[in-house]
This record gives sequence, structure tokens and C-alpha cells, in this order.
Amino acid sequence: MSLLCRTVVLAGVMGLSAQGCATVQPWQRGRLADPCMTFDSDAGRVAYQTHWQEAREGAAGGFGVQSGGCGCK
Amino acid sequence: MRPSFWVAALVTVLLSGTAGARPTPTTAPTLELTTLEGKTVRLADFKGRVLLVDIWASWCGPCKSSFPSLDALYLELHPLGLDLLAVNVDERRRDADEFLSHHPHQMPVVLDPQGRVPEAFGAEAMPSSFLIDRSGNIRFRHAGYSPASLPVYRQEIARLLEEAGAESDGVVVIGP
Repeated sequence: MSLLCRTVVLAGVMGLSAQGCATVQPWQRGRLADPCMTFDSDAGRVAYQTHWQEAREGAAGGFGVQSGGCGCK
Repeated sequence: MRPSFWVAALVTVLLSGTAGARPTPTTAPTLELTTLEGKTVRLADFKGRVLLVDIWASWCGPCKSSFPSLDALYLELHPLGLDLLAVNVDERRRDADEFLSHHPHQMPVVLDPQGRVPEAFGAEAMPSSFLIDRSGNIRFRHAGYSPASLPVYRQEIARLLEEAGAESDGVVVIGP
């Protein structure tokens, strides 16, 4: 395969893969903010753990649901 | 082929998936919205009044504190010339209804499941709010909410109420 041909094929693949990218706007993150979207099987335990971690660290945010998926500030 | 080509190609692909910056309008967009009761409301109807547009959703954590706080602000300042539209962007009406059943309110709530309002205003976070002066210009923006925001709201609203306008009637003093 010539260099030009390889370049065209690669550019095509990269272009097609870029089509899958999308930006979810802050107001569209209702489903992402659902507790079932946390990376843990027990959302309740995570919420409790997050609560005492935030209290201990004196800082909030960055723990998945809120400030993670929902776009909340 | 030079490595710079591949770096440039990779950067192009990565950037192609990102959204461009949303426009941030300086004047209130022309929109028609529907209230909970099914009435039609136009933003243009509020010209001559100071309008606070608050964008919220039932799933948004900070909205649980901003909603009642802004409702109290509305009750206090509505007689002085402040109007408020609480724009709900829940996709499902029943989610908004459930939230509202736990948060009694007096301020008008409009439904925007398609997100036309945050799109038109260029909202960057949830909740977001926009203060519009008597001439229809967007003068102040808030992204997110904390209790520390309330004094800022008061200062901004007082400033807009003091400005000359169709229904301006002099100096407005708003307590802390």
C-alpha cells in the first residue's frame, strides 16, 4: 500500500472515529447525575462515604454524581 | 512521514470532538415558554421590569438550596419590581412535579424539557441564572449556587432596580 493510500485510509478512520464524540451540556446531564451511574454497586454506601470524606477533608466535589456527571457547581 | 504530521492529525481529531464556545448573548433572547399551568410566557413581556431567570433541575444538587432561597428573594422583592422565572429543564415532567411537591413556591415556574433557555443564554453550569435589566439586557450571570451568592444577588438586583426604566420609581434599598 502506498504512502498516500495509507494516509487517506488513516485520515478516514480518524475522521469516522471523531464522529462519535459529543459534548453533553450541563442541562442534559440528568441521567448522568442519577445515583445508579456511580462507579460502585452500592450508591448509598458511596454517598455516606463521600459525606464523611468531605467533612474530614473540608472540601467537596469531584466524587462522581454531583460535580462529576451533573455539571453542578 | 514526519512525526509532526501525526501530532497535527491527532490534535485535529481530538479537537473535532469538542464543542465550540457557546455564544453569550448580551440581550435577552426571544423565547416563548410554558408555565406549569399551561400558560404561555414571553421573555419580551418582562421589558420594563427587572427579571431574574433561574435555570434548575430536580437532579441538580445545588438547586435544592437555590430554589427556596430564590423563591424567598422573589417574595421579598417582587413588590419592588423584580420578576423571576424559574426554568425547569427536567426531561420528564414528573421529576419536576416531584421536586415541586417538596418545595412549595410562589415564583413562576416554566418548563423547558428541550433546554432551549440554557442553550439561548449560553448556560455553563447547573444551576445558572441571569439578571436582565429593564431594557432587556443581560447584565449579570451566575454559574452554580452557594449561600454566599445571595448577598451578591441582592446587590445586583438593587442596582438594576435603581436604574431608570419604564417602571422605575426612585432609589431602592434592599436589606441583607
